[in-house]
Amino acid sequence: MGVLVGTLVGVLPGIGPAGAMALLLPATFKFSPTSTLILLAGIYYGVQYGGSTTSILVNIPGEASSVITCIDGYQMARQGRAGPALGIAAWGSFIAGTIANIGLMLVAVPLARAALSFGPPEYFALMCTGLIIVTYLAQGSILKALMMALVGIILGSIGLDIITGLPRFTFGINELTDGVGIIPLVMGLFGISEIFVNLEESLEREIFKTRIKNLWPSLKDWGQAKWAIIRGSVIGFLIGILPGGGAVIAPFVAYAVEKKVAKNPEKFGKGAIEGVASPESANNAAAGGSLIPLLSLGIPPNPIMAIFFSALMIHGIQPGPLLIRQNPDLFWGLVASLYLGNALLLLLNLPLIGVWVKVLEIPYKLLFPLILLFCLIGAYSLNNVTFDLYVMIFFGVVGWIMRKFGYEGAPLILAYVLGPMLENSLRQSLLISRGSFMIFVSRPISGIALGFAFLLLLSNLFPYFKKQRKQYEEFKE
Amino acid sequence: MKTFDQTSSLFWLLVSIAVFIESLRLGIGTLHNPGMGFLTFSASGILGILSLILFLQASLRRKEMKTAPLFAGPLWKRVLLVVMALIVYSKFMPVLGYLISTFLLMITLFWILERRKIRFVFVSSILATLVTYLVFSKWLNCQFPHGLFGF
Repeated sequence: MGVLVGTLVGVLPGIGPAGAMALLLPATFKFSPTSTLILLAGIYYGVQYGGSTTSILVNIPGEASSVITCIDGYQMARQGRAGPALGIAAWGSFIAGTIANIGLMLVAVPLARAALSFGPPEYFALMCTGLIIVTYLAQGSILKALMMALVGIILGSIGLDIITGLPRFTFGINELTDGVGIIPLVMGLFGISEIFVNLEESLEREIFKTRIKNLWPSLKDWGQAKWAIIRGSVIGFLIGILPGGGAVIAPFVAYAVEKKVAKNPEKFGKGAIEGVASPESANNAAAGGSLIPLLSLGIPPNPIMAIFFSALMIHGIQPGPLLIRQNPDLFWGLVASLYLGNALLLLLNLPLIGVWVKVLEIPYKLLFPLILLFCLIGAYSLNNVTFDLYVMIFFGVVGWIMRKFGYEGAPLILAYVLGPMLENSLRQSLLISRGSFMIFVSRPISGIALGFAFLLLLSNLFPYFKKQRKQYEEFKE
Repeated sequence: MKTFDQTSSLFWLLVSIAVFIESLRLGIGTLHNPGMGFLTFSASGILGILSLILFLQASLRRKEMKTAPLFAGPLWKRVLLVVMALIVYSKFMPVLGYLISTFLLMITLFWILERRKIRFVFVSSILATLVTYLVFSKWLNCQFPHGLFGF
């Protein structure tokens, strides 16, 4: 069910993986935690597969992680090679997903064991670094991304204080004592606002009419794409593990690397099969890699993992270094499902590609009211209160306006989830050190992590100073 | 973008001031024993500083950057209509019950997007309401409000 929904969500622009997961989360309350995690992982993987279909056939990325696939994928389709493009995207995703699963098995367990020695300062430092990386990798202004992260921390503090149990920023509203719900927040910021943006535009789109044949890539295609798939998988996996990384950034890096190492970089942008194989492998590998910090450290590295984190918490499971030891069935069940899901996705995306092309033809005027209704049902069924609907609509409007003003929702969501943990770690660290901030730099792991985050922030200033210097020189002349 | 950034930075500055004051009221405690307003006090302080930097950056920028206008074109009104429909739905769902309120919402949403085809609007709304009711209420056991009419 997860991979099916994921592929559907990936194929259809308008609702992303975060919105789809948030939508289905209330329906998982009756499932076991393992089944819930498997469903969410299936959606996440499926989205990466499905997103490539629209990129190749419509030149509109189904998801942010498939943006770069449009460049060469659509060109291949125009040249009558839509089949090999879709085929290599599916096979690349399958191989990368399998490599990422093996990596997950090899890295998560030892990392969780090592993380047992981490204290509050280490957790505080790692979470700060994750937030800084997310803001650093923001598509727009880093300053605005940092501001959004701070707004996320403030939003995350709404509700009862963890230590005193007293209400904060609730403005006398009883429903806010439990805090702002992540489901209405995510649905509003990602799902509803996306629909609002699309509603403002013309709802017509053009599907590239071509007969899809030769889904099995030729030996020549395999020869050209094999190293691109391997490189994309490794790059994607490593970026996925990084705090702040994820399936969105990895394809861009993989594409850039592929173009750099290519013997004929000029063919990129004109239908190079490597330009499809590499990013499509990278986004799937990153999806697998980003499970590692969540399952072994209990730190969600990106907004999608933040929803995984919330799902675990809803099911009474505390993500952290003890998760694998205390819930081996959950971890190994998930790993097994990832292998199975990968194989299912290959079946869904190759023989059934015709179905997804038909799905692409569903008119937006039919789709958008239905997506809005699903979001309303998802938000309502969480607590069966209409207050959550108002929260979702409010953040839908906020997200819509934020997009117009150039603010991104991803740092806000991640900071919102990390906020309470960050506060807990900070207060515990200061209690341990009796008020000294030196505790964060005197311990090696936290010192290195914070030093790295500081350097990353500092590196933003260099282009600014360079620009100022250039302007000064121009003025002097 | 220049005016956009100036406006938004001033908005966030106001937000940061409000949170800053509320954090002080909640109590920031001491470094030895941080209070419940400590983190929000720090976060709002930094947010305020960053807002000022953004305002200055935008004000010192020499030229306007190209950006999409905030409310332009004939279609933005559709968004406002949809927002209003969603708010009215949220208000009346507990009173009218899921089936009636959802049917009325779907008619409104389909009508906003497809004004000419009445039959399409009517059939799509009925189907959407009944199918979601069956799937979510009967199959997934979601608790929808029954309202005054008991369904």
